[in-house]
Amino acid sequence: MAGAREVRRRIKSVENNRQITRTMELVATSKLKRATDRVRAARPYADALDEIVRSLYSPWLAERFPLLRQPTETRRAAVLLLTANRGLAGAFNANLIRETRHQLDDLREKGIATELHIAGKKGIQFFRFRGEPMETARTDIKDAPTVTDAESLVAPLAARFEAGILDAVFLVSSEFRSAMSTPPRVKELLPIRPGAASASADAFILSPPGGFILGRLLPLYLRNAVYTALVENAAAEQGARRTAMKNATDNAGEMLEYLTRTYNRARQAQITQEIAEIVGGAAGLE
Amino acid sequence: MADGTLQVRVVSPQKIVFEGDAAALVAPAWDGMVGILPGHAPFLTLVGVGELSIELPGGGSRSFQVAGGILKVLTNRVTVLTEYAGTEPPAEIPAEAIVHPEDVVASATDASS
Repeated sequence: MAGAREVRRRIKSVENNRQITRTMELVATSKLKRATDRVRAARPYADALDEIVRSLYSPWLAERFPLLRQPTETRRAAVLLLTANRGLAGAFNANLIRETRHQLDDLREKGIATELHIAGKKGIQFFRFRGEPMETARTDIKDAPTVTDAESLVAPLAARFEAGILDAVFLVSSEFRSAMSTPPRVKELLPIRPGAASASADAFILSPPGGFILGRLLPLYLRNAVYTALVENAAAEQGARRTAMKNATDNAGEMLEYLTRTYNRARQAQITQEIAEIVGGAAGLE
Repeated sequence: MADGTLQVRVVSPQKIVFEGDAAALVAPAWDGMVGILPGHAPFLTLVGVGELSIELPGGGSRSFQVAGGILKVLTNRVTVLTEYAGTEPPAEIPAEAIVHPEDVVASATDASS
C-alpha cells in the first residue's frame, strides 16, 4: 500500500535527522565542558586584575593616561560584536545581532557616528547582507580563543581611542550565566570606568610608583576584558547549540512516535482489508 | 604574624598555576628579585622575567618561570598575576615584562611637575 510505504520513508528520514542532531548535541556537550572550564579558569585572573586596577585608580591619574580619557562628548563610537562562526545554535547569533542593531540605532539617534567591528562569520554575513560597512571582519577566532586573539581585537581600538578618534567602544557578546541562560550583553569597554576600590593603594608599598603600574596594567585590563568576553561567548555558543540540538532530537523523537503510530495503523488497515476481501471472496463462493 | 604561612596564588590569564600555602616566596620583580616572608607589608610590584620559587611549609619547593604581570601582597595573601608561567622560560619575552628604568623616572618626574 502506497500510504504505508510513504510513511516508512518519512520515518527513515526523521530517524536520520535525529541521529545527526543527537551527535551534534553530544559534540556540543563535550565542547561545552571544555569551554566552561576555560571560563572558570579565566575568572581568578580577571577578578584579581580588576581589584588591583580599582585600588590604583584615582581620578587625577585619568588625566595622565590617554586610555583613561573620559570624553565630555561622544562623537564617534565603535561597536565590537562577537558572534559564532557557525550556526545551528538556536537564537544565539540572532540575539547578538539584534542587540548590536539596537545599540547602533541608539547611538545614531543621538547623532553619534558609529563604526562596526565584527569577529564571527554569522555576524559578518548578516551585516554584509544588510549592506552595513564593517571596519573589521574576522573569522579566525576558534573555539578556544587565546589572549593573543583578544589583544589583536582590542589593540587597534585602544590606539584609536587614545588618539582621540574614538570616544567610546562598546562590546556586544553573550554573558555565560549557565549553559541554559546566555543572554546578550552590551559592555562599555572604553572609556574605562573603574568601580570603587575595596582597598586603597595608599596602604601599599608601590614599586614602581602607582601611576606607572597603572599605565602598565590598563592595556592588560582591557585585553583581559575582551579575552573574558571571548571565552564566555565561546561557552555560550556551545550551550546554546546543545540546547537547540537537544530540542531538535526530542522533537524528532516525538515525530517518530507519531509516524510509527500512523504507519502501524496503515499496516493494520491493510491487513484488515485483506482479511475482509478473503472472507468476502469465500462468502461469495458458498 | 611572623610565624604564619603565606597563601600563594599564581595565576595566568588561562589558569591558576599554583595555589596553596607557602613558607616563603622569591619572585623576579621588574627591578630585581624580591623575597617575601609571612608578615610582609602590603606590597604591589610589577613582575619581570625569571624564576619564581615557592618554599613549601613542610620543606621542599616549587618553581616556575614567569614573565610580566603584577605581584600583590596583602595580609599574608600573595597573588601573582603573570602573563606567562611555565617550566621553561618563555620563547619570546612579552613586551609587558620589560620595564625601562628611564620610563619610571620620566613618569615620576611628570607626576611631581
